[in-house]
Amino acid sequence: MNSKIQNDIKELVEEQVITNEVAIDIENFYKYKKESSPNRLFTVFAVLGSALVGLGIILILAHNWDNFSRSIKTVFAFTPLIIGQFIVGYTILKKKSATWREASGVFLFFAVGASMALVSQIYNTPGDFSSYMLMWILLCAPLIYLLKSNTLAILHIVFATNYACSYGYFDGNQTPWLYLILLVIIIPHYYQLLKNKKTHNVTSIFNWFLPLSVVIVLGAFVYRSEEFGFLMYVILFGLFYNIGKSPFFDNQKLRRNGYLILGSLGTIYMLMFASFEWLWKDILRHDIIFNSQEFYISIILFLLALSVLIYSHSKKWIQSFNLFQYVFIIFTAIFFIGITSSIIPTILVNLIILVLGIVAIKIGADKFHFGILNYGLLIITALIVCRFFDTNMSFVVRGLLFVCVGVGFFLTNYMMLKKQKSIRN
Amino acid sequence: MKTIHIFILFIVVAIAQIFVPAQMIFNKESVINTGTAYRFKTQPVDPSDPYRGKYINLNYEISSFVTTDTLWERKDKVYVYLDTDSLGFAKVNQVSKVPLNLNKDFIVGEVWWYNKNKQKLNFNLPFNRYYMEETKAYDAEVAVRNNQQDSIKNNTYALVYIKNGEAVLNDVIINEMSIKDYVEKK
Repeated sequence: MNSKIQNDIKELVEEQVITNEVAIDIENFYKYKKESSPNRLFTVFAVLGSALVGLGIILILAHNWDNFSRSIKTVFAFTPLIIGQFIVGYTILKKKSATWREASGVFLFFAVGASMALVSQIYNTPGDFSSYMLMWILLCAPLIYLLKSNTLAILHIVFATNYACSYGYFDGNQTPWLYLILLVIIIPHYYQLLKNKKTHNVTSIFNWFLPLSVVIVLGAFVYRSEEFGFLMYVILFGLFYNIGKSPFFDNQKLRRNGYLILGSLGTIYMLMFASFEWLWKDILRHDIIFNSQEFYISIILFLLALSVLIYSHSKKWIQSFNLFQYVFIIFTAIFFIGITSSIIPTILVNLIILVLGIVAIKIGADKFHFGILNYGLLIITALIVCRFFDTNMSFVVRGLLFVCVGVGFFLTNYMMLKKQKSIRN
Repeated sequence: MKTIHIFILFIVVAIAQIFVPAQMIFNKESVINTGTAYRFKTQPVDPSDPYRGKYINLNYEISSFVTTDTLWERKDKVYVYLDTDSLGFAKVNQVSKVPLNLNKDFIVGEVWWYNKNKQKLNFNLPFNRYYMEETKAYDAEVAVRNNQQDSIKNNTYALVYIKNGEAVLNDVIINEMSIKDYVEKK
């Protein structure tokens, strides 16, 4: 048990807030709770250990031992694999603890990669890094469910992202459709985590890694029409923001809510780009191809985001108007205006950013959250900094603007601090 | 699910995990044992791969072919049909987008780019990597470069076995000696 709790209990007994019996009950409760939970630290070290051993084996094999014959090298290729399989088999049969399951699974994961790598070395199989990665991931995917292993699931996401990037970005201009299947494979595991271990740290890792992976990979789905690629990202961030706003995620701590933070930051980031006129001039210069995969992906993402929004309304989750949740709809409309004009969209986007900044400040003030309040102020500052670069405003006006925002920072924070104090008293 | 069921499923997965590399081995062995050996003139340079270690990249002398077919896209498959020249080195007989009914060995390469002026198709051969012990890869590159300066003719070639479009790069030979031994001797 935590010594702080012990001290608190002692103090409470001394001050006669609780009786001795209650104190003993509380101590017993914590003792029992500790016994029933597995040793997490040990699991972490076991996983780290087996990951390092597995990676070490890959590196040792990558030395390409010339002196051994092909058959001995082949035996080497299979040894770590068979050892890993034995340990995993033993873990399953003997119903070993989570520590065993995680560690043996991770070891086997790297052993599979090592054996395939060595075979391609022995026979000088050429490049094609992505198909090697894909085979590796697929061969290990069932282990996630057989071992109920979170680490394997995380490795799956990381390697799937790596695969999609190497296939989509580096191996030429191809669309990594199989990445979607790799995502679907992980969904049941994630669903179970959300259902049963909503507040665990592991689940929040997934809440971050999954959307982050999609953000990284989405660009690989842009084939020709880069303009729609831009729209795809804005809608994706809108989707994430709306998912993050559902009470399931919104009622948790903010740092667990990767969807909300990524959605919000991403939206602002994309809008900042769109607040420059050159982007719209660029769109004007190119022909917009409607019959393109980017257009269809945009539609699908839009429908997804819209249905999350409508569902939230039907469940009465949305009490007050929050512009962040609707930005993707407004931006889509602006985007199509942008096909014929470059000035109107630029002005509209600048207005939206300004309003978003104000909305964030208001949310921060309502919640008494200094972080969100200052985030709002930062949005407005960033907007002004951006305008610094491309307008012919006189230096005096720009200087005055900066002074105003700076004073705004002081005033709003000061006012909120004061308000907070008066409420406390 | 019962433990035994999970275990049975795991056995299936484990067999698949062994099967994939094993199948790769069987394929390659069958090409080496029953395929035809070709010699491709080449020049090596040395990079490395994060998982598989150091290798030398092989640039082949036959990497282009004159063809009137102009519709080639980068990364397209190209069927390269082979012959041997008077000195016994491999040369291109024909290239095609689809398999042809020729009684000749072929390899499946990848289109690099089409030079419209010269009507020349440039392609990559699917066996451009030769894995070497990490300390030797760079030496090998240097050795080849020096050897080319010494002798007038390029006598570095890759020994490749080919069967039904599958190719296995077995060795790289300099002055009639395996590059592994050549590097050690130098």
